[in-house]
Amino acid sequence: MLLYIVTYDIPCDKRRKKVSDLLEGYGRRVQYSVFECVLTTGKYDELQRRLKQRIKLQEDSVRFYPLSGHTLAQVEVWGGEPVTQMPGSVIV
Amino acid sequence: MRSLYISQQGCYLSLQQEQILIKQGQTVLDQVQLPLLEQILIFGKSQVTTQVIRECLRREIPIAYLSRMGYCYGRILPISRGYRSLSRYQQQLLNTDRLIVARTIVQAKLRNSRVILQRQQRRRPSEVIAQSIQSLSYLTEQAAQTESIDRLMGLEGAAAASYFNALGECFTGDGFVFVARSRRPPGNPVNALLSFGYQVLWNHLLSLIELQGLDPYHACLHQGTERHAALASDLVEEFRAPMIDSLVLYLVNRGVVNADQDFTYHDGGCYLNDAGRKKFLRAFLQRMEETLNVEGDQAQPRWDTLNQQVKLYKQFVYNPVQGYTPYLIR
Repeated sequence: MLLYIVTYDIPCDKRRKKVSDLLEGYGRRVQYSVFECVLTTGKYDELQRRLKQRIKLQEDSVRFYPLSGHTLAQVEVWGGEPVTQMPGSVIV
Repeated sequence: MRSLYISQQGCYLSLQQEQILIKQGQTVLDQVQLPLLEQILIFGKSQVTTQVIRECLRREIPIAYLSRMGYCYGRILPISRGYRSLSRYQQQLLNTDRLIVARTIVQAKLRNSRVILQRQQRRRPSEVIAQSIQSLSYLTEQAAQTESIDRLMGLEGAAAASYFNALGECFTGDGFVFVARSRRPPGNPVNALLSFGYQVLWNHLLSLIELQGLDPYHACLHQGTERHAALASDLVEEFRAPMIDSLVLYLVNRGVVNADQDFTYHDGGCYLNDAGRKKFLRAFLQRMEETLNVEGDQAQPRWDTLNQQVKLYKQFVYNPVQGYTPYLIR
């Protein structure tokens, strides 16, 4: 289980919507085009595979930054929500 | 195991891209991310759209429909899950191997029940508990020598009677009296809590059994029929006392649940109401997510111990000579 920072720059509205919809399923939006995702390697691979189908590499750019436990402890947040934790079960 | 529990009534689950939107009337109660979800449990009357069902089927997320007290009506599973890869091996198990495992399971259940009573005895010594501890040790020895499943079930019944009698001594919460175990329907708040807890645990085990590709309809202790997922009933035995009974003791004795506010009486029985159900599930989850130190291993949440046991059973199916190692508390 690792925290991944996923950022993107996508000029086309349609593709950007598709990418952000997908990322909403795997992580939490922390800034307009920055997501924090806590994922197992299996889910991370799945996310990358599915993302690849939604972008055009000639025009778009997507970046993935995995954080190790060491650097995760040094993350600072100024304003906004605290760093995303592993999602738990939900009771309604 | 990341689960979504719908314990309120009249919810409406719809699909919104990669998320499930949970609404009640016009208000949005919550949003849940589909890719990270492992199962959905729906207690009572809530609606799920076909779009959600289809997505869950595609992603192999089982949806269980349960009554408000936790009885499972049925589950929605993808067609591919119907292929139980280990079924053939399970059918080929010899009767002697089954008997040995059935004995192991009953012994583990009795031992774990005894440990729970011993813990209570240290807190508040009582004659009844002391007696039950003794008879549980005796019955555990008896179970080791039993040659038939019927007799084993008989011993287990005798042990349960003695155990629940002693457990009654342990409840100190206001308005909670527990004399004997009553079910179908549960007769009082403590029984309502126990019944609900066992059912919830049973359903989780069933999901884990399915995930491991085992056939839940072939078991050792309980006689499987096409209507009864007996393997879940087998594996739940060793967890009843340490996971549910101790949780119920905590909820009642610490005053987390309230005898007047968290229950409802109807059809001649006592059941948890919406508020009580939610309280129980919260406490249950908290406990299951707690990490514990297992002998020699690093800390792991209680969830993992459930999965661990299902995997150990799977190993037994592959290699019956090895036997099955049950979950024992100290």
